Amino acid sequence: MRFVTIETAKAGSPATADFARGAHTTLRRTLAICSLLALALLTVGLVSMLMGSQRLPITGSLCLIFGGDGGRCGLTPEQQAILFDLRLPRVLLAASVGASLAAAGAGYQALLRNPLAEPYLLGISNGAAVGTMIALVFLGTQTWTRSLMAFAGALAATFVVYRLARGRTGTSPEKLILAGVIVTTFLSSAIVFITTMMDATRIRSFNFWLLGDLSGSTSSLLTIGLIAALLGTVLLAAHGRALNLMMLGERDAFDLGVEVERVRLIVFLAASLLVGASVASSGSVGYVGLVVPHLVRLSVGSDNRTTIPAAALAGALFVIVADTAARTIIAPRELPVGAITALIGAPLFVYLLRRG
Amino acid sequence: MRDGIFHLSNYRLRQFKFLSLLLLTSALLFACAPRSESGKGTPPGNLAAEMREVTDDAGKRVRVHARPERIVSLAPNLTEIVYAVGAGPRLVGNTTYCDYPREANQVTKVGDTLHPSVERILALRPQLILVSTASQLETFARQLDEQQIAVYVTDPRDLDGVLRSIVSVGDLLGQRAEAERVAGQLRERAARVEEATRSRQPVSVFYQLSAEPLYTAGHDSYITDLVRRAGGRSVTADVPGAWPRYSDEAALSSRPEAIVMATGGSMGEANADIAAALKNSPAARSGRIIKINGDYLSRPGPRLVDGLEQMARSLHPEAFGQ
Repeated sequence: MRFVTIETAKAGSPATADFARGAHTTLRRTLAICSLLALALLTVGLVSMLMGSQRLPITGSLCLIFGGDGGRCGLTPEQQAILFDLRLPRVLLAASVGASLAAAGAGYQALLRNPLAEPYLLGISNGAAVGTMIALVFLGTQTWTRSLMAFAGALAATFVVYRLARGRTGTSPEKLILAGVIVTTFLSSAIVFITTMMDATRIRSFNFWLLGDLSGSTSSLLTIGLIAALLGTVLLAAHGRALNLMMLGERDAFDLGVEVERVRLIVFLAASLLVGASVASSGSVGYVGLVVPHLVRLSVGSDNRTTIPAAALAGALFVIVADTAARTIIAPRELPVGAITALIGAPLFVYLLRRG
Repeated sequence: MRDGIFHLSNYRLRQFKFLSLLLLTSALLFACAPRSESGKGTPPGNLAAEMREVTDDAGKRVRVHARPERIVSLAPNLTEIVYAVGAGPRLVGNTTYCDYPREANQVTKVGDTLHPSVERILALRPQLILVSTASQLETFARQLDEQQIAVYVTDPRDLDGVLRSIVSVGDLLGQRAEAERVAGQLRERAARVEEATRSRQPVSVFYQLSAEPLYTAGHDSYITDLVRRAGGRSVTADVPGAWPRYSDEAALSSRPEAIVMATGGSMGEANADIAAALKNSPAARSGRIIKINGDYLSRPGPRLVDGLEQMARSLHPEAFGQ
């Protein structure tokens, strides 16, 4: 695994070269990688807008997407509504959820110096889910309480996992995963407990949402999700250099002038914001935060200034593809997107582990 | 030293607690054992004579008393059927969803349809348990089978199936004549509705079970049959399954002329708004949003025909002289 080499970076392994590179070179490299990914993202987003349970004329759809007039492009009002009122928001939501989870995963992995640190495995998604459900059951259905409680839940879960994992000797990878398992199972039970307090009609919709589902969202949740994705990713990427140094060890980072406590708090806040916003709109979509940063590190290296924004773009791409599959495989019925990301993610991760 | 003594006494205390707990448990076990044996009631010779075998909707052979005196119902539609065929007084347990007729509220609750408590059911010493496929059968049916309590499953796929289940449940309870009468009346009412709507142009209908996420009635649902009888044509009639999770864009493209929603009743405000994808459908634009008491449509029992009548009157008001 490329990641493990970071531990030995002090000893002068090739990975040191990544960090030693000047800020100017890094910026240029990051921009090049990200513009390539952004181009791929736009292409995939466009293709996914052309796919769905309903077959739309391709040339007409393209004509409409590139600013054509509805009548001239030869699409009925229904087809226009499918394209812009249903598919576009859904593709945007998939992008925001994917970007959020992948960037948060990359952030946790750098901060906790553990390649397995991921919102889903650490129980942070479950924390956000419990927050959302508490908001829905006890506090009414306003969008802002839902998102705020999801954020609070994610943050609380993050701190509990961190506290549990951090012993006198610092966080060990095993302890962190164990803490994640404990928090995940505890919160899963809490979720079961809350669902028993709901009536039957709501349980059905919650089961779907819990698995990660992009269909039940609203425009305000989408707006919050997009803003959170952008804000969180920028915040994390801006602390990329500090995270690079902290990956060498918090002690060394401190000696090199990094405000370790402050950076840790900011990363926790930003990652919780990302996870909270995505869970509030679409439940727990698993494996994105694990698989995507791994793939990104394998291909572009471990410099967090590059890895974090690249992971966000690649994550968006991954979830758009997964959700397109979820919408089309058994059309006109639908699958929860979380089932697809897990089906792709788990084998892919095993493959990456073996290759590493 | 002090510490040591304290430690020791603490240990003794725990040991004592453990022993007494063990004693108490075994005492309870002995106390219960003979009772559960005698709890099976009537002597074996008589028992065999009173038993008979039937096949339920799950295709399972069920051995049941000829006239069960203690019945538990695990679904509100089955509770309504038990009362309709005149066996209400023999119902010893039902679910928290069972709120009709009013007497059903006085019966001991054994949990809800999704999570019934097997312990509570057993404590009621039922001779027959009526179950619908809405329950998670696998989890508890086996446990009840092991206790040799008859579990009878109903799974009606259309209105005829509902009427048949009324007769078969009535027959099971020793109320065949009454059940035939009830089913006959319902069949007549349904036939009158069909008579009135037969010559009408069928209206395309989208049945909205829930808006977020969007669920509808598919091929295997009795709702699809009900819509047809009411003079409609369900746009999701060919979708596999009974209650499929449906795609937004497929719903939008289906362009229904009317939307039927089960809402109100014990469902309260749930499912009271149409799904976002249907906001611009012909049905929404012309205002043909038909809300029917959720209890009529979500419970395949006697009141399903009330739902049918309301649906038909809303789809074809002119056919009923309105």
